[in-house]
Amino acid sequence: MNPIVDLRNIRKVYDSKVAVEGLSLRIEAGTMFGLLGPNGSGKTSSIRMMIGITAPDSGTVSLFGQPFTREALRRVGYLPEERGLYKKMKVMEQLIFLGQLRGLSPAVASARAHAWCERLLISDAVDKRTEALSKGMQQKIQFIASLLHEPELIIMDEPFSGLDPVNAALLMDTLVSLREDGKAILFSTHRMDQVEKLCDEIAIIYKGRLVLEGGMQAIKSRYPANRVHISYAGDGGFLRHPAIQSVKNYPGQAEIRLNDGADAQALLAAALAGGARITSFQVVEPTLEEIFIETIGSNVDA
Amino acid sequence: MRNIWLIAKREYLERIRTKAFIIMTVLIPVLMGGLVFGGGYLAFSTRSTSHVAVVAADAAFADGVKRELEDGKGAHMRVDTPPPTPQTEAALNAALRDNENDLVGYLWVTPPAAAEARPVFRYKPRSAGDIATEQNLKDAIKVVLTRERLTRQGMSLAEIDALLLPVDVDTSATGSSKTAFGAAYLLFFLMYMVIMLYGMNTARSIIEEKTSRVFEVMLSTITPDQMLAGKLFGVGAVGLTQIGIWMTAAGLLSYTPFAAALGGGVHLLITPVQIFFFVAYFIFAFLLYSSIAVALGAMTNSEQELQQLNMFLVMPLAFCVVMIFSIINAPDSTLAKVVSLIPFCSPLLMNFRISLGHPQPWEIVTSFVLMSLSIVAILYVASRIYRVGILMYGKKPSVGEMLRWLRYS
Repeated sequence: MNPIVDLRNIRKVYDSKVAVEGLSLRIEAGTMFGLLGPNGSGKTSSIRMMIGITAPDSGTVSLFGQPFTREALRRVGYLPEERGLYKKMKVMEQLIFLGQLRGLSPAVASARAHAWCERLLISDAVDKRTEALSKGMQQKIQFIASLLHEPELIIMDEPFSGLDPVNAALLMDTLVSLREDGKAILFSTHRMDQVEKLCDEIAIIYKGRLVLEGGMQAIKSRYPANRVHISYAGDGGFLRHPAIQSVKNYPGQAEIRLNDGADAQALLAAALAGGARITSFQVVEPTLEEIFIETIGSNVDA
Repeated sequence: MRNIWLIAKREYLERIRTKAFIIMTVLIPVLMGGLVFGGGYLAFSTRSTSHVAVVAADAAFADGVKRELEDGKGAHMRVDTPPPTPQTEAALNAALRDNENDLVGYLWVTPPAAAEARPVFRYKPRSAGDIATEQNLKDAIKVVLTRERLTRQGMSLAEIDALLLPVDVDTSATGSSKTAFGAAYLLFFLMYMVIMLYGMNTARSIIEEKTSRVFEVMLSTITPDQMLAGKLFGVGAVGLTQIGIWMTAAGLLSYTPFAAALGGGVHLLITPVQIFFFVAYFIFAFLLYSSIAVALGAMTNSEQELQQLNMFLVMPLAFCVVMIFSIINAPDSTLAKVVSLIPFCSPLLMNFRISLGHPQPWEIVTSFVLMSLSIVAILYVASRIYRVGILMYGKKPSVGEMLRWLRYS
């Protein structure tokens, strides 16, 4: 089956600054794809090229197995990072207008918009002017606007930024259920912790280049589970155990990184022997953030 | 096409529903009319009431000038006629310096050397810029000299008065010429206002979309060109609606029994020809000036930045206002013909000349052709600036960057 998005070796230069260099990506249907990287690493530039807002200087963009055409945009839902709505318009008018621009009839747009507003718990805002709403509300409205035409590919640039945890979770749940419907979803974020549990696949870009790409599980399994989180009371003398490479010691808690090949069991035994009371002992994989820092670190060295 | 229509419709409805639209629709003609007719009335009916002194050895001459200035055609002044002594001059100079009794100046008349020659007139004003008083003095002196000369030729006072009476020309068959001129003038300033207003509206609506960051959402569905076209149609349609309201109102005032009830003074205020050309020139002017405004709006990030650039819109309009005075005096001079063919000026100046009834048909046709060509050229450049500019936030682009934008596809 053709991938939904297929970027081949794309490159974009703004004046003297290279925004994206030699980026290749494939996104399959039914995938939640996380595009990660720090601010200014080229995430938004890549997304803009993906949907034809800007054209790549070289390389090819294919959507739904075809070279890019504007026709394909009918099947794409896009939530830009720079969010905007017409401030003076009422919420429902706005949603219907944006739905119409995407080819819906006013009646269909209205029905879907009402259904979505209910689903995202903002039904009582539909008759208000957009400028009277909170930022989080406006973000939900944009979220809805990008989904009204039931796109097969959903692209969201920093969809959770600026949302409180409750609303962020609501949007995440919505995205998960959309993925279950077989949509391809790409979203970008600089908050690595958000994507760990959400993404099937990730790509990390740094300074315009792809530094890491692949399935979430595959990437994580490449890195050994050499982190230990301990909650303890009493003597912390075991923290000087030779298996420990580094430690962050918080009151009653320690985050430990072990030396390569060291065994966590030995550390636990030493802690118990030293008289500490262990309430929790957990061996964990590195977080995405740690993997990212490690990757960039090695990349800088290379 | 559907997208352009949707954009235009949104733009139109949003603007036409505002209170500002209704207020402007009522206020602009009222203000313009008040300015043109009220200003004209005041200019014709106000007389100078300044205080001057006339110093002449010839007391009869001084009295004659005094009579003209105190109760003449354009003046209602206070006039002193002190005797010509050195003390008088010193006293008058002191009075001028100290601003005594609001004295604005004095006229010193030195008798002529030869009998048939004119006396020498010296006027010393308090303010060198007071040309109105100076003109009043000149007029009065001229009348007095004429009277003197005619008396010497042997005419009686009654004969002289009859000779110097103002001339009456009857124009009642075509309506008051002052009203017709006032209407032309009114249309001129109305056009000025709407070009300015709707040009700025176009620029402002682009900046609004830029600051609200709505462009990215839109551009993921439609092209910048569709967006631009929709915007121009939408804003332009609002302008046409407003003008439509005004012209309908003017038509009702001019051609219905209601107009007759108001009396002959207002009949034939604005003719159908004037209305037709006003609308036609507005459409072209709007496209021309809005194309510039599009580029200005796309380049800037805020209203404040736009303010700094709006001289590009104001300058051509201001130029027209300057030119209108020479066109009033000579509507068919070469100068008038040339400036009214400049595309930026045609909507104001050619339209004004049409109101006065002078230009040849080929001039009108040429003005539309030149405007069309300019619109195409400017829109071509502006749409390119627009395409890139709407996604550029942050600093204002330099000229070099702008030229590079033109080459982006």
